[in-house]
Amino acid sequence: MTNGSQTTSEIFENLKLELRRGCLTLAVLTQLRTERYGYTLRKALADDGLEIDEGTLYPLLRRLESQGLLVSQWREEDKRNKRFYRLSPVGEQILEQLLGEWQRINTSLRKILQEA
Amino acid sequence: MSKTSRNPMDLVDRYLHAVGFWLPKAQQHDIIAELSEDLRSQIEEKETELGRSLTETEMEAILKQRGRPLLVANRYLPQRSLIGPVLFPIYWFVLKLVALFYLLPWILVWIGLMSFSPSYRAEHTSAGWLGAIGSAWSAWWAIAVFAVGTVTIVFAVLEQLQSKSRFLENWNPRKLPPARNPNQIPRSSSLIEVVVNFAFGIWWIDVMSTLIPLDRPEIRIVLSPVWRYFFWGFLFLALVNAVVGGVNLARPYWTVLRASVRLATDCTASALFCWMFKASVIAEITGAKIPPAHAVEITSAINLGMAKVFPVVLATGVVIAVVGVRRILRVRRAATVQLTEVSAVVA
Repeated sequence: MTNGSQTTSEIFENLKLELRRGCLTLAVLTQLRTERYGYTLRKALADDGLEIDEGTLYPLLRRLESQGLLVSQWREEDKRNKRFYRLSPVGEQILEQLLGEWQRINTSLRKILQEA
Repeated sequence: MSKTSRNPMDLVDRYLHAVGFWLPKAQQHDIIAELSEDLRSQIEEKETELGRSLTETEMEAILKQRGRPLLVANRYLPQRSLIGPVLFPIYWFVLKLVALFYLLPWILVWIGLMSFSPSYRAEHTSAGWLGAIGSAWSAWWAIAVFAVGTVTIVFAVLEQLQSKSRFLENWNPRKLPPARNPNQIPRSSSLIEVVVNFAFGIWWIDVMSTLIPLDRPEIRIVLSPVWRYFFWGFLFLALVNAVVGGVNLARPYWTVLRASVRLATDCTASALFCWMFKASVIAEITGAKIPPAHAVEITSAINLGMAKVFPVVLATGVVIAVVGVRRILRVRRAATVQLTEVSAVVA
């Protein structure tokens, strides 16, 4: 089925991508309350049901670090150099604010869905 | 070395090298080191799961799943565009204007010249019609590339300025143009139309009703008998336009009937102009100080000049007709929408 130049599944995929974008940032920041390196972070997110491909995760980590929300450090583990990330003090503040905002949106959405 | 005997890790190195090629030098090493670590962790995990080393095919599948190197690298790069989303609608609008008012008229004038100017046609069809079309196409293409290229460069520069100064963010709602219904006719333009057509009619009857509109010792212009048709034709059109203008003044919205009358008068005026420019309307120009031979030359030069302008007049007539047809379609569409809305309310 098509709507204009996009098929219904394409429209859904685009909207899903938009919906996931903000949630992924929130999930990544939350997971990085504990220090992790990229691969284990990806596994942890996948284990909790939030798959994220490396092409999305690593650029996101870099962006968050450049914004001062994360700090990183190269360290050797299991004879290999790995880059470990964790939340910075600014990141912790922002995360609290974002979680508050997410709770508000979630509450509103629940209310809207119940009304519908 | 055969394909199957290659070291599978060689594929990883080549992949990382290809990704690195597209990355900025300052970040290249860091990003590749991290990507490499992630890839090796995934490979290691898979090998532990299988209890053996990965084959080249399995390695290939992992890399393919990660995506084309250029696309992977692109995700690390800042979003860049020659013309961004803020300016793009204006850029697109300007391109449409260029196409409508520059490229399309060019084609129409060319068609007009080829159809109605024997000298132009003879000059350009020496290599046959296909050759003429080919050379016109390449000339048009060069003009189109130049026009589109110029507009694109201007907007690319504006985009740079906009990204630095954000000048488009400074705006004032009070300076926005008034919301206008395209089917509404401004009363001022209707009034001007009535006055201009009325004044034209008086002047036309006073000066142009004779075949000798100018009769002075220094110059005398005599028109050919065919002028009678133009005189009555243009007078009739001025009268109709004055009446339509008067009705528009009282009822300032286009209706299908009035838009159709306007299209008919515009088409008739265009046809009369086209005919007039081809009809050699000036029969004779004489003057006390003009030698007879020179007067004949002037007469034929004016008639010839008018005939040469004919394709431009024709192209203008076509554009006017297209505008008139669009107006009728717009009025009909608006009427249909209103009818649908009324039906919905009644239902």
